[in-house]
Amino acid sequence: MSTPAETAARGQPRRRMRVDGWRWGGRIFLVFMLLYTALPMIWMLLTSIKSGFAAMQFPPQWWPDQPTLASYQKLLDPQNSVGQDFLRFFWNSLFVSTATTVLSVIVAVPAAYAFSRFTFPGRNFLFFAVLLRNMFPAVIFLVPLFILMRAIGLVNTHGSLVLTYLTFGLPLAIWLLKGFYDNIPVQLEQAARIDGATRFQAFILIVMPLSAPGIIATAIYSFIGAWNEYIYAYTFLSKNEQLTLPVGIQRFFSENTTDFPGLMAASFIMSVPVVVLFLVLQRYFVRALTEGAVKH
Amino acid sequence: MTILTGKTGARGGFRPLLRKIWAHRADYAYVLPAIAVMLIVIAYPIYYTVELSFFNTPPGLQLRDKIFVGVDNYTAILSSGIFWKVTSNTLIWTLASTFISFVLGFACALALHRDFVGRGVLRAILIIPWVISAVAASYIWKWIYHSDFGIIGAVLVELGLADRPPNFIDSVSTVLPSLIVVNIWREFPFAMIMMMAGLQTVPDQLLRAAKVDGANAWQRFWHVTFPHLRNVSTVTILLLAVANFNSFIIPWIMTGGGPSNASHIWITHIYELAFGRQRWGVASAYSVLLFLILMMFGYFYVRALSGNERKDHSA
Repeated sequence: MSTPAETAARGQPRRRMRVDGWRWGGRIFLVFMLLYTALPMIWMLLTSIKSGFAAMQFPPQWWPDQPTLASYQKLLDPQNSVGQDFLRFFWNSLFVSTATTVLSVIVAVPAAYAFSRFTFPGRNFLFFAVLLRNMFPAVIFLVPLFILMRAIGLVNTHGSLVLTYLTFGLPLAIWLLKGFYDNIPVQLEQAARIDGATRFQAFILIVMPLSAPGIIATAIYSFIGAWNEYIYAYTFLSKNEQLTLPVGIQRFFSENTTDFPGLMAASFIMSVPVVVLFLVLQRYFVRALTEGAVKH
Repeated sequence: MTILTGKTGARGGFRPLLRKIWAHRADYAYVLPAIAVMLIVIAYPIYYTVELSFFNTPPGLQLRDKIFVGVDNYTAILSSGIFWKVTSNTLIWTLASTFISFVLGFACALALHRDFVGRGVLRAILIIPWVISAVAASYIWKWIYHSDFGIIGAVLVELGLADRPPNFIDSVSTVLPSLIVVNIWREFPFAMIMMMAGLQTVPDQLLRAAKVDGANAWQRFWHVTFPHLRNVSTVTILLLAVANFNSFIIPWIMTGGGPSNASHIWITHIYELAFGRQRWGVASAYSVLLFLILMMFGYFYVRALSGNERKDHSA
């Protein structure tokens, strides 16, 4: 028979070791995931600062022996024809993404508010119809939308992209924003109404400022979605000067598949704005994204 | 929902419903712009796809010359060999991507749950693949898999595990798993974000109580944490499954469905039928079938979400 003190003394180290085992397992796993995540991106960066010749060697140069920014200079130089195209794609992407974001937010804010606060007939049906849109891939809408865009003369314009990007931007925006409005106490509006504000005034003056983080998160999501969109842009646009980055890069390098440093540099430049935007504002974003799904 | 089930009608008739709608007319003003946009860009295309699936159209989208063919497009699909090839690819792609992304994302969330130095930075790095464009991701991995200059092949050769770099995405037997690795790279961060948010809602008291009762780490996870995360897991898995089922960019850019259809999944196949071979009718019929399958996913999704809402109200 051992005393309780002895049991504790014997049990304690073993228990700690067990916990340590889990912790070390977790750390090793995280290191593995970090390598899986980061190595491809590091390889992209290392390739982008090689010369075309240095990239095509076997075995590969792990570290470029003569690092060069030539690929970046070429892409960002407005005097150069490659740079002219690339910068135009960049501005096209910026324009389309910004327009989509602004429109999504303007249309989604009142709709999400109504879904959160009002109980009009058909509310649940409409809300789930909006939600269900996220189930459907762009491809099955592509043929009819292409025909529609051709009929209203929007093929080969950025308008066709902004309009179709609302198909995925709007449902998500409404869903994200509704989660935010659900969490704003309705009493705040009631207090404003008692003080004589109309329902619309209460919405604009009380609810809108409180939902600013939600609106920011929604805007980021719309922007990233539009910035990365490929299928509609690939199908609706044919003129070189209209292309957005994802399609532009593809057209660029399908003609010249050996310029891997250029391709990696272009991929990197394309990733910078969305990654920066995301990292700066991820707090809002992650909260909004998970709000609806983790409630208890 | 009452309207849909017709209960209102049975109780009060059509006129009271109209009166009710009229009484709420100001509410509709808020949702009207959204509904209008959705009608144009979603309801109309769905209607048109269904219509087109019963027609044969000549190349070039000369829609005036379309010919009614009944269900011929559907029977043609089901009797074609490529349909089964593409369906089995889609199943492998969807199940493997979803399952592995979820497990890796969940494990990351668990490992990141405890606070340690550098946790925020690590989390941010792990999320990046999900944020960058799938087009960029496809090109990065195409370069990594390159059969002459790819880095993985080079490592295998240097380690003496291969005589020459393998043809990861140019070979029928390895292309699908190779693409799945890329897809998981992009998708696991989503599962990680969702599960991290879920973990924050697991009550500490329960875990501490379990610890006092002598449960070890695994038992605490299996009997306390995991049951608590059932809802968020269901929603996450469904969203991942739908996203994977609907994938396009990675297989399209990396292989275009090849070699010999080994990496064609439903969506890329539909795209090629429509815009490559201009067989709009068959592509539309495929879309309608896809639509029906996704409605099934949608049913479970709505059920999972409204399960959440019910709990909300009872709490």
